Amino acid sequence: MKKSKRVITRRDFIRTGSYAAVGGLMGLPLLSYAADKKTQKSRAVLIRDNKILEPGGSLRKSNLEEIFDEAVTTLLDAEDPASAWRQLVQPTDIVGVKSNVWGPLPTPSHLEATIKKRLMAVGVKEQNIAIDDRGVRSNSVFKKSTALINVRPMRTHHWSGLGTLLKNYIMFVSTPWMYHGNACERLGAIWNKSHIKGKTRLNILVMLTPLFHGVGPHHYSRRYTWPYGGLIVSTDPVAADATGARIIQAKRHEFFGKDRPISPPPRHIEAADNKFDLGNSHPDRIDLIKLGWQKDILI
Amino acid sequence: MDFKAFMKNFHFATARISHCLAVLTLSICTVIMTQTADADSLKKLRARLPGQISGWKAEPEDRIFDPTTIFSYINGAAEVYKAYNMRHCLSRRYINPNGPPIILDIFDMGSSEDAYGVFTHDTDGEVMDVGQDARYRPGWLSFWKHRFFVSIFMEEETTAAEKAVKELGRAVAAQIPTKGSRPSILLLLPQEGLESESIHYMHHPIVLNYHFYLADENILNISSRTDAVLASYHREGQKALLLLVLYPKTENAVKSLTGFLKHYLPDADKTGAALLENGKCAAVRLKNRLLAVVLEADSRELAESLLKSVKHNPD
Repeated sequence: MKKSKRVITRRDFIRTGSYAAVGGLMGLPLLSYAADKKTQKSRAVLIRDNKILEPGGSLRKSNLEEIFDEAVTTLLDAEDPASAWRQLVQPTDIVGVKSNVWGPLPTPSHLEATIKKRLMAVGVKEQNIAIDDRGVRSNSVFKKSTALINVRPMRTHHWSGLGTLLKNYIMFVSTPWMYHGNACERLGAIWNKSHIKGKTRLNILVMLTPLFHGVGPHHYSRRYTWPYGGLIVSTDPVAADATGARIIQAKRHEFFGKDRPISPPPRHIEAADNKFDLGNSHPDRIDLIKLGWQKDILI
Repeated sequence: MDFKAFMKNFHFATARISHCLAVLTLSICTVIMTQTADADSLKKLRARLPGQISGWKAEPEDRIFDPTTIFSYINGAAEVYKAYNMRHCLSRRYINPNGPPIILDIFDMGSSEDAYGVFTHDTDGEVMDVGQDARYRPGWLSFWKHRFFVSIFMEEETTAAEKAVKELGRAVAAQIPTKGSRPSILLLLPQEGLESESIHYMHHPIVLNYHFYLADENILNISSRTDAVLASYHREGQKALLLLVLYPKTENAVKSLTGFLKHYLPDADKTGAALLENGKCAAVRLKNRLLAVVLEADSRELAESLLKSVKHNPD
C-alpha cells in the first residue's frame, strides 16, 4: 500500500451520510462535496413514451425517432432537430458513435441509424461516420474522429454498479481491467485522455427497458428489466448518468420493497464530477426537463 | 586461487546450478501437470454431461475458456472467477425450438474451497438440494460440488425451462462423484446467531469491497495467501457483521492490525473498539495469526461478545 496516499474508507462515506440515507441517493457517495464546488448547472432531458414498446416488447421505431428528436431539440433550445444537430456537429466533422453491443441489452440499432441520419442531414459525409463499440480502438473513423456521440442502455453492472455513459468509454483504453478497482471509480480518467477529451458532443442514455438488478455470471434476467420507455439526453454525461442512477435506485426500492442500494455503489459517477471534473452529479446542479409520459417516472 | 580451490568452487557452482535447474524443471513440470490435470478433470466431466434434457438438446460445440479468454465470454463479472483462481470454464448451450436457450457454465476452480468461495459470492435465492449447496433465483440455478462451480441460466423464464434447468442441475451434480471440503476458516466462526446464508469466503480484497466496502486500499492485506470469511450475526434482536482473516504468519496479522487501526479505527480504545459515525460499533482483536474484526455491530456488548466467542485458530 502506498504510504503517501490518504486512504478513503467507508467511514468517510458514513460521515457524508451516503451509506445511511434512505430514499435519497444511496450508492452515490460524497455527492455533497461535488454540489458545493460547481456553480454552473447542467441540462438533461428525460423523455418517455408509454407506447414506444409493442405489447410483445418490440420497439416502435417511429416513436423512438420522435422522442429522440424532441429530446435533442429541447435540450439545445432549437426550433427543430436539424438546427439542434447543427449546434452539435459541423459538416466537416469526423464522427464516432460509441454504441454498446452487450448481448442481452444492446443499443437499439434503430437509434444508431437515427443518429447517423441526423448527422448526415447536417452534412457529415457517410464515410466520416462510424458506429462501433468493441472495435473503436482500431476503427479508422474513430482514430481520426473530431467528434463523438455516446449512446448506450442503462443497466446494473457487476463491478461499476451501473453500466453508464461514463463507463461506455472503457473500450477506448487497451487495459480496461485497470479501471475495475474500487467499483471502477477511475473511469472518468479515460474521458480526460488526449484522444477523447473534449470530443463528446452528445450523450444518450437509453432507458427503454433498463436492467435494475443483475444475476449470474452473465448478470442478466428479463425479470429485472421493466418498460420504462425513456431516453435521457444531455451534453453532460455525468448529469445523464446521475439522473439514470436515481431512477434505477428508485426502481430497486420499489421492486424489492426495501432499501437495497445499487451494489457496488456507482462511485464513478460522483468521481467523474468530484475528481475528474466532467460534469454535475448532484440533483441541485442538474436542470432536469421531464417530457412525455409521467406515470411511474420514479424521479 | 590454486587449482584445487578453483575446482572446489567450480564443483560447488555446478552443483548449485544443477540444483536450480532441477527445481526450475520440477516447477515447470508441476505447472504443466496441474494444467493438464485441470483440463483432464473438466474434459472427463464434459464427456459425461447430458446431451439432452427435458426437450432441450445440447448444441454440437461446447466452448472452453481460460482465465484470459473468460473476459470475452463474461462481460464484467469475469474478475470474480479470477479472484477465486478459476482454471477453466466449459460453456454449453441447450436449445429447444419451443423454449428459451439454457446456458450451462461449469467453472473448474482448482479447489473445493474456491468452488465454495465463488458460490458464496451470491447466495440470494431459494435453497435447493443440488450438489453441496445450491440456490435458485428466477432464471438462474447455481451450485458447487467438489472443485466445480456450476451456473445454469435460462435466457427467458418459462415453467418448462425452469423444470429443465433444475433437472439439468441434478444431472450435472450426479456426474461429479467426489465431494469437496469447505474452507477450514469457517470452523472458527462463532455459531450462536450465525446467519449461515450470509457467509462469504474470499481471499481477494475486491471481493470484500464488493460485499462490504471498507477502503480504497487493501488495508487488511487480504491476498491469495490469506483466507477470509465475512458473516452476519443476529443475537437477541441485534445485528453484527464479522470478518475473520487468517494470515500465513503472526507478523502479517500484526502488520494488518496496525494498518487497520491507523486507517479505519484510529479512535479505537485500548480494547480495540470504536463508535462509528452511524452509531454502530466496530472492534478488532488479534488471535495469533487470526485477525477478527467486527465491522459493524448494533452495540458494543454484541461486538465484544462476538470477538470473545471467535474460536482460536489451530496455532
